[in-house]
Amino acid sequence: MKKDIDKVRNIGISAHIDSGKTTLTERILFYTQRIHAIHDVKGKDGVGATMDSMELEKERGITIASAATYCEWQGHEINIIDTPGHVDFTIEVERSLRVLDGGILVLCSVGGVQSQSITVDQQMKRYKVPSIAFINKCDRSGASPFRVVDQLRNKLGHNAVALQIPIGLEADFEGVVDLVAMQAVYFDGDNGENLRVEAIPENLREEAQQRRDEMIDAATMFSDELTEAVLEEKNIEEELLISALRTGVLAREITPVMMGSAYKNKGVQLLLDAVNNYLPCPKEIENVALDTENDEAPVVLASQNDAPLVALAFKLEDGQYGQLTYIRVYQGRLTKGDTVINVRTGKKVKIGRVVRMHADQMEDIEAIPAGYIGALFGIDCASGDTFVAPGLDLTMTSMFVPEPVISLAVKPVDHKAEINMSKALNRFTKEDPTFKTHVSAETGDTIISGMGELHLEVYIERMKREYSAVVETGQPRVAYRETITAQAEFDYIHKKQTGGAGQYGRVAGYLEPMADEEFAFESQIVGGAIPTQFIPSCEKGFRRCLAKGPKMEFPVTGVKAVITDGASHAVDSSDKAFQAAARGAFLQAYAKAKAVIQEPIMKVVVETPTEFQGAVMGSLNQRRGMIVGSQDEGVMTVIESQVPLAEMFGYSTVLRSLTQGKAQFTMEFATYRQVPQSVAEEIAKKRSEDKKKVA
Amino acid sequence: MKKDLMMRNPLRQLGYGSEDILADGAFGAILARAGLGKTAFLVQIALHTMLRDRNVLHISLDDPVDKVTLWYQEVFNLMAHSRQAMPTPELWDSLLPHRFIMTFKVEGFSVPKLRERLTDLTEQGIFHPQTLIIDGLPFDSGMGALLEDLKGLCSETGLRSWFTVRTHRHEDPDPDGMPPQLGDIQDLFDIVLQLLPDGKDIHIRQLKGIAGASHDTQLRFDPATMLIKAD
Repeated sequence: MKKDIDKVRNIGISAHIDSGKTTLTERILFYTQRIHAIHDVKGKDGVGATMDSMELEKERGITIASAATYCEWQGHEINIIDTPGHVDFTIEVERSLRVLDGGILVLCSVGGVQSQSITVDQQMKRYKVPSIAFINKCDRSGASPFRVVDQLRNKLGHNAVALQIPIGLEADFEGVVDLVAMQAVYFDGDNGENLRVEAIPENLREEAQQRRDEMIDAATMFSDELTEAVLEEKNIEEELLISALRTGVLAREITPVMMGSAYKNKGVQLLLDAVNNYLPCPKEIENVALDTENDEAPVVLASQNDAPLVALAFKLEDGQYGQLTYIRVYQGRLTKGDTVINVRTGKKVKIGRVVRMHADQMEDIEAIPAGYIGALFGIDCASGDTFVAPGLDLTMTSMFVPEPVISLAVKPVDHKAEINMSKALNRFTKEDPTFKTHVSAETGDTIISGMGELHLEVYIERMKREYSAVVETGQPRVAYRETITAQAEFDYIHKKQTGGAGQYGRVAGYLEPMADEEFAFESQIVGGAIPTQFIPSCEKGFRRCLAKGPKMEFPVTGVKAVITDGASHAVDSSDKAFQAAARGAFLQAYAKAKAVIQEPIMKVVVETPTEFQGAVMGSLNQRRGMIVGSQDEGVMTVIESQVPLAEMFGYSTVLRSLTQGKAQFTMEFATYRQVPQSVAEEIAKKRSEDKKKVA
Repeated sequence: MKKDLMMRNPLRQLGYGSEDILADGAFGAILARAGLGKTAFLVQIALHTMLRDRNVLHISLDDPVDKVTLWYQEVFNLMAHSRQAMPTPELWDSLLPHRFIMTFKVEGFSVPKLRERLTDLTEQGIFHPQTLIIDGLPFDSGMGALLEDLKGLCSETGLRSWFTVRTHRHEDPDPDGMPPQLGDIQDLFDIVLQLLPDGKDIHIRQLKGIAGASHDTQLRFDPATMLIKAD
């Protein structure tokens, strides 16, 4: 393993589903000689693209789990994370972006910036990942790369700067004009492996010069030297231009745009050059950990091998030889035989086998240096755990993990399936923090919860395929919750003074609604009306009421409990008595606090041919959807709406039949909102029916 | 808070009988140079309309839906903060069903297309607009025919329409004070308001409106908060 950190690139490839990112990754691996043949994504040749290592992904032609791999290009070491494109698997994308230093945003030259590209772009922004754009599929009918450049500017707000122009388009797409070197590049050979550099074709010279001027104009913002050269009309050196553009990219103020067709083997090598030239090396990115001993104060990490180790486990996979833990080393060096600490558990961990991954193949290495991504075997940990050198108390910034919005009961078909399901669920919950599981106290069923219908469907399929656990599934259930909408007072005495040890506690105060937080507790007790040692008992009592709301037994959120007065008894007051008093107080006030049921509302974005926009809007409206707006983009219209999750089951089938399969939609959690009275009544009715069934 | 915001509508100061300011089918225009706050001004008109439970169809020829949404959220928060109040999610949620955003590319916008979209919305009971906000129509490039058609549509449907009109520093107004952009088509407009910078302030002048009223209104546009204020 080489050690020149300046020549390391940790990059992710993110895009809308079907933009061709897996094909692109495949070609990258081919040109960097990590693989020696090219396969199709959909596995027509029975092999499948190298990055899609899961069977299910091969079948569906989509990439579900990130697979990490590395390759070398022009003396640079590039670690690539292939990321899923579907929004239901967003946690995978988010995790990848957490550990990456740069990204390639793949866009389809026909479809342009689609709704998922917007989601992925927002994620890149959240983690401040500098990126370059690759406009793929320039060989497709309807290809219009400069329309996509405009969309990058208008829809995503990027300062998109084209570094290339295409030579021909659609079926006539031959190559690209490199505007930095001002030369035409063609891709010859069976697999486009031979680059042929020629003069720019006559008919493109004027456009090339004009686009180059625009590019230089954008780059001058980041280099005085370049500005000077332009003003003095000097010849502009390639290195100077690249350096100015690189400064802009690192500041996230320029997005260089490359073009090509991965499928037709055009433009990929130049994209790799751009990765080396414009995306940052690990030490150019500031990574911050939190000091757990010092009130989680941020600590900037040094991307140096001789510093104490800080590493993040960002992905787990069940491999042939046990659990495989993908890890990014931020500081120090993780060497075989080292003993490190898992900050979450506080346990010591001995590092056994250290490998570098190439999709589902691997290469043994001695150590993972600072800034690198690798994988470990035989480490028991959860995704998102931080490993540090003994003596350090740092944790990497916690990853944003949304709460699940949908759940489903699963029932194994036989005893064997039951054992296997348990193994599978144990693995999946470790791999994916948005996937949760519990046993229903009412029905005894195993309930799985996640971020969407497809999210859960994929895990059910994986249970079957990877663990031979065949399960029957119940109806999907929405994660409703309860909250209050008015302030209400309580004054409750819990008294039990007949026989045995007595119990006495009085609490008075009020409950009030609270936005943004689940629960808050405040004591305004003065003069010892409730003895200090029993204040935490009151809080505990209130908290215990939250799991099952009094209205419909959904979890309660958005409540603040304030205690202002109370009373105690010298002998009979106890922790238990005040917990019970708080519980009674909660129920007393809750009944008056105008409790309501809330439901998850999803942001649903549909891209449809304009001719179907009326029908699509109607379908969303029928689902209690509120249409925020419609964006007319010529042949296509994008409709943005907010729809209750409860109404979205089976929507993909409806949309397909409404639009002859030409529309697509993405869905992500937006907010919780109060359900209308009629729906609340229906939910109540259904719950009581379910209860009767259980009884 | 809703009532408070409704009561504090500074546009009441313009002296119109109805709070809609515009009559059914009438046109209003907000003129200003680039960057003075035309969109923020129109969004306030829209929000005050929505606060009265009236439906606004916002058509943007410049910005995507997300950006227009952001404008509304920002201006609403500013309006609430100016009343020293925290905007409640419930109030915001209650306003949203009164707004529908449509965005078009300038070259893709036409009255037949709008008519078709309106029919889609109203016939399916999705949305029944009462006020139209049109932001970003390029008045420099001969919009006469389109505006005539639009006037026809609005007269039929009773829609009141507000437009932003971008003026230019280098162009002198016509003798009646109207900018050249409205020269031939000013008859289509019932009210024309202009944002005019004066030092740190932006004054709101009424170039056309209540007969005989002074051009100078009691209103200012605060460039710091982007809110309309009464003197």
